[in-house]
Amino acid sequence: MQRGHRQLDHTADLALELWGESEIDVLLAGAEGVIDIMTDAADVEERGHRHVRIDAVDPQDRLVQWLNEIVVAAVSEGFLFGSADIELEGPTGLSATIRGEPDAGERVVAELKSATYHELALGEERGMWRARVVIDV
Amino acid sequence: MRVPGLIYASNAMAREIAADKSTQQVVNVAHLPGIIGHSIAMPDIHWGYGFPIGGVAAFDPDDGVLSPGGVGYDINCGVRLLSSGIERRELHGRVAALATALHRAIPSGVGSQSHRKLNEGELRRVLTRGARWAVAAGYGAGEDLELAEEGGCIDGADPAELSERAIERGKPQLGSLGSGNHFCELGYVAEIYDQEAADAFGLALDRVTVLLHSGSRGLGYQVCDDSLRSMLRAADRYGIALPDRQLAAAPLHSDEARRYFAAMACAINFAFANRQMMTHFVREAVDEFFAESCDLSLVYDVCHNIAKWETHQVDGAPRRVCVHRKGATRAFGPGHPDVPERYRAIGQPVLVPGDMGRYSYVLCGTERAMQETFGSSCHGAGRRMSRAQAKKSARGRPIFQELAERGIHVRSDSAGTVAEEIPEAYKDVADVIEVMHGAGIARKVAKLVPMAVVKG
Repeated sequence: MQRGHRQLDHTADLALELWGESEIDVLLAGAEGVIDIMTDAADVEERGHRHVRIDAVDPQDRLVQWLNEIVVAAVSEGFLFGSADIELEGPTGLSATIRGEPDAGERVVAELKSATYHELALGEERGMWRARVVIDV
Repeated sequence: MRVPGLIYASNAMAREIAADKSTQQVVNVAHLPGIIGHSIAMPDIHWGYGFPIGGVAAFDPDDGVLSPGGVGYDINCGVRLLSSGIERRELHGRVAALATALHRAIPSGVGSQSHRKLNEGELRRVLTRGARWAVAAGYGAGEDLELAEEGGCIDGADPAELSERAIERGKPQLGSLGSGNHFCELGYVAEIYDQEAADAFGLALDRVTVLLHSGSRGLGYQVCDDSLRSMLRAADRYGIALPDRQLAAAPLHSDEARRYFAAMACAINFAFANRQMMTHFVREAVDEFFAESCDLSLVYDVCHNIAKWETHQVDGAPRRVCVHRKGATRAFGPGHPDVPERYRAIGQPVLVPGDMGRYSYVLCGTERAMQETFGSSCHGAGRRMSRAQAKKSARGRPIFQELAERGIHVRSDSAGTVAEEIPEAYKDVADVIEVMHGAGIARKVAKLVPMAVVKG
């Protein structure tokens, strides 16, 4: 499985570089990156699940909305992303079943405000999907 | 560009600013329809989302736009200053204990939640009444409302324009500090530059002060996020070319703009109520600590992420314009009717926090600001290190102890947050306010030095 994430240096906030073999892989890498930033390092216990539906403006907006679902679930509801089954519906739709750890608010150590559109990039090049997203802290 | 850009900076800052992409953001803002005068940036300019942080722009009501990127995610993030009759020497040997008391009194940290959970009906009243709701609910006195920008409540809020998610995020968080760069800081007046203004503001040398920095919490972030999507669609529909998606905007007369304004106003009022409630918690904690009423008085409460209708002189005539301030503070000059009566002869207090290791400043607005910047000034220091760099610099260092040895007692549930917020992660706010003072935009009144900081 080739997908991953890394934090890029950003003076005011946080930036994530994401990559994967498919657009879904990039979405998953983004969720993993956000949870990495927000929580301690220990594994997420997948004791609960939730369903998410997104109707976006375009694929980039879909990525932002997806990451914000992960952020809000963690910060506001204490639900930590563990893994997900994602289906993309055209360029703007997404439905997903997310498995994760409920009632884990005390494990959230960093409060993120939102993924942003700032210098947002998402695309495929030579068989690899890549994205860059800045997150307001 | 429809108008020129105007950046206030010293020569030393100019080099740094030129290397940062924030000047491009000043240029981008200048492309927006209906912009009047200049695309302005204050000396604490740095890279933001759409607008630069430190950005100010005013738009014509007929052909101008409203842009959530010109307000920011933390709608009505702002600062309020309390003064007291407590002399600094009265706290000798007791600052650490008072720091602990404040930390206990104010809900803070990641996902911090209020002592008081609201039901939906109560929240809706908060969203339309702002700080007035808080005072009526017993969190402060009526006099506090006179001493807040907009009287602690802006007109035009409509909770029906908020998403369910925004409401859910807001319900548990009213009266909480949040995290990151939000803080409650106990300090003292270390220097006075303008005695007449200091007297009017109730500031005296060596008297204890409290600064509170917080905003609209998750409700505000959600309003911004929800609005950007609708504004992106609107920009397409109205043929507004966006050099940056985060500048998504709609014409001021459009339904989209009206709806965003109504939602933004809710978040503005939430933040006013938020800071009013925390003011009450601070007063209670300090009174309990001294076992008597210490009369912590509100000096002023300013917004630094907001868009609102104001009347300014444009081409020699008064014109109602929509001013966006993103990381910028209103700085109305002497005589302005929106300045509280007790300050009207002097000008509006402008509160500019620095970092937790050095100082913050109180300035006052000027007529020059009214002429050049739509009555606006800077809002803070701005970061010079990324969070990762700051954490790296702090690694292995006993930061809490280092600051305590300098007489600054920090309380936080998160050592990680404190590491990200070390003083050297920020630019020197003194450089920023010297530019404002030198340019005549805001006049120096007093310097505040921290003794204790509660960090989220």
